[in-house]
Amino acid sequence: MNTSVLLQRVGQVDPTRLEDYVAHGGFDALRRALLRRPEKVVEEVKASGLVGRGGAAFPTGVKWEAVARESRTPKYVVCNADESEPGTFKDRVLMEGDPFAVLEGMAIAAYATGASEGYIYVRGEYARAYTLLRSAVDQATQAGFLGDAILGSDFSFHVHIYRGAGAYVCGEETALFESIEGKRGQPRQKPPFPTTHGLFGQPTVINNVETLANVPPLILNGAEWFRSLGPEEAPGPKLFSVSGAVNKPGVYEATMDVTLRELIEEYAGGVRDGGKVQAVLVGGAAGTFVGPKDLDVPMSFSGLRRVGASPGSGAVMVVDERVNMWDVLLRIARFFAHESCGKCYPCRLGTQRQLEIVTRMASGALRYKDFLRLQDLHATMRDASLCGLGQTAGNAIISGLKVMGMGMSDD
Amino acid sequence: MSDIPWEQVDAVIARWAPRGRAGLLPCLEEVQSITGWLSPEVSRRIAEGLKVPLADVFGVITFYGLLYDRPVGRFVVRVCDDVSCFINGSREIVDACRSYLGVEPGETTPDGLFTLETHPCLGRCERAPFMMVNELEFGPITPQDVPRILEEVRKSGAGQEEEGV
Ligand SMILES: Cc1cc2nc3c(=O)[nH]c(=O)nc-3n(C[C@H](O)[C@H](O)[C@H](O)COP(=O)(O)O)c2cc1C
Ligand code: SF4
Ligand code: FES
Repeated sequence: MNTSVLLQRVGQVDPTRLEDYVAHGGFDALRRALLRRPEKVVEEVKASGLVGRGGAAFPTGVKWEAVARESRTPKYVVCNADESEPGTFKDRVLMEGDPFAVLEGMAIAAYATGASEGYIYVRGEYARAYTLLRSAVDQATQAGFLGDAILGSDFSFHVHIYRGAGAYVCGEETALFESIEGKRGQPRQKPPFPTTHGLFGQPTVINNVETLANVPPLILNGAEWFRSLGPEEAPGPKLFSVSGAVNKPGVYEATMDVTLRELIEEYAGGVRDGGKVQAVLVGGAAGTFVGPKDLDVPMSFSGLRRVGASPGSGAVMVVDERVNMWDVLLRIARFFAHESCGKCYPCRLGTQRQLEIVTRMASGALRYKDFLRLQDLHATMRDASLCGLGQTAGNAIISGLKVMGMGMSDD
Repeated sequence: MSDIPWEQVDAVIARWAPRGRAGLLPCLEEVQSITGWLSPEVSRRIAEGLKVPLADVFGVITFYGLLYDRPVGRFVVRVCDDVSCFINGSREIVDACRSYLGVEPGETTPDGLFTLETHPCLGRCERAPFMMVNELEFGPITPQDVPRILEEVRKSGAGQEEEGV
């Protein structure tokens, strides 16, 4: 189902003007939240069934509740705006088109969990989003929507903005904390989890931009309304970044029962030049290739699971039959070898070996042993890597080979 | 290159010093926007100002793709060569840049003006093929657009972050 909740103001309001946001219902949700007890706000988010939009799909209300329960202060709310998953650009569209909504979501999260400081970590290459957010924070603080004694209440919340510096792994939540703390952005061992030991070792809510943008409409319209949108297992509006060989690449909003075929053919205007789909990479480089026979699956967790995939960040990259898949796989293998932070062996060595093997195969030297080696690497990285980067580094390669008809049996 | 505007650099360091180590990343980013790259002497000044071990400052600089421990061109040309841009012809864009600039990806033109880089997804896949010159954005573009874009950049001396150099 087509919805217009997250994108309702994008392209409609002037993102540089607070007055415009307020005239379009901005900060009404924060006002409403402040009239309730924080626990009630957490309850509403829990009841809504909202799950994180950053890739891991963790229930947002459960995360907030865990932080709300911590008595150690200060607590933090961190907005993950690092968006570096290849094929993903929805957070950028939100930040550039409706930056105040992200701040409002953060302020509500802070009120609900008892946090006093907020951090936004924006991808380094997103200069425009950074400038707009910077100005949005200043304006919102001036107007009393952020800062001390917000809207005359005794709730205070200060927002800082950091810029990333070109490292994919810094989107991983604990690597992001390390980065803000002035260290190399390498993931930490979990547990402890961010809810107890996050930024500066303190209890921390970390949420994706899109997750936070869901919060104001959810608070305004209620959990029941939210649950009425889309499938039971993952309700609410969702953004999909559709790109590659399509006529109208862009960010589209729908509920998660939308099918891959609908996204490609109806939303994105079909394959370019009337061509045919060869493969679709769902979820970015960390995601999975889906073949042309499986386009009718819904983009929900259970739907995509049937074809071995998951929605991830909501990236949909369409490869048509004109493209040489080896060139595509080579880029993905190169990406992981380049972005591995080197902290743990399975990923540091595995992504290098994977690149060597894919390079060899792409040059035409197909050896049966190499297929077995790739499969072995995939399993080792998945099972033994410290963070999601290594754990997913073989997904696209293995599933891509399958779609190319070089299927290997599942282990 | 060697005349570093220390006054400006020190002002940035002084602003971030109260945050200590948590001020390191933004301080490095801001200083680099003044000096172009983070030379050993600049890094030492930052290490002292923020009271962070120099080895750790080097460690951080080398970790991040957008921080440079060697001189780069006044304009860094980043051409996206990831999946969606590749599907839309990024290889031809890279070739057009190579032939116009006469350097390979990773290299800087002899006049020190341009550094060419190929890049993983820049998060503008709806504008594929896409490239950036410093913070300016271009896409979708054709190989024929490349000489005009780079010529205009060269003439404008743009680079919003280069003020005062
Ligand atoms: C390698 C890697 C990169 C990630 N990059 C991002 C990112 O750019 N943006 C994001 O929101 N989450 C990213 N995540 C997921 C975060 O670790 C975390 O799950 C998320 O920020 C939580 O927010 P959510 O619950 O609102 O989704 C990444 C995870 C991994 C393993
Ligand atoms: S899995 Fe890769 S990116 Fe993650 S900690 Fe290990 S080496 Fe670093
Ligand atoms: S693939 Fe080039 S911007 Fe995303």
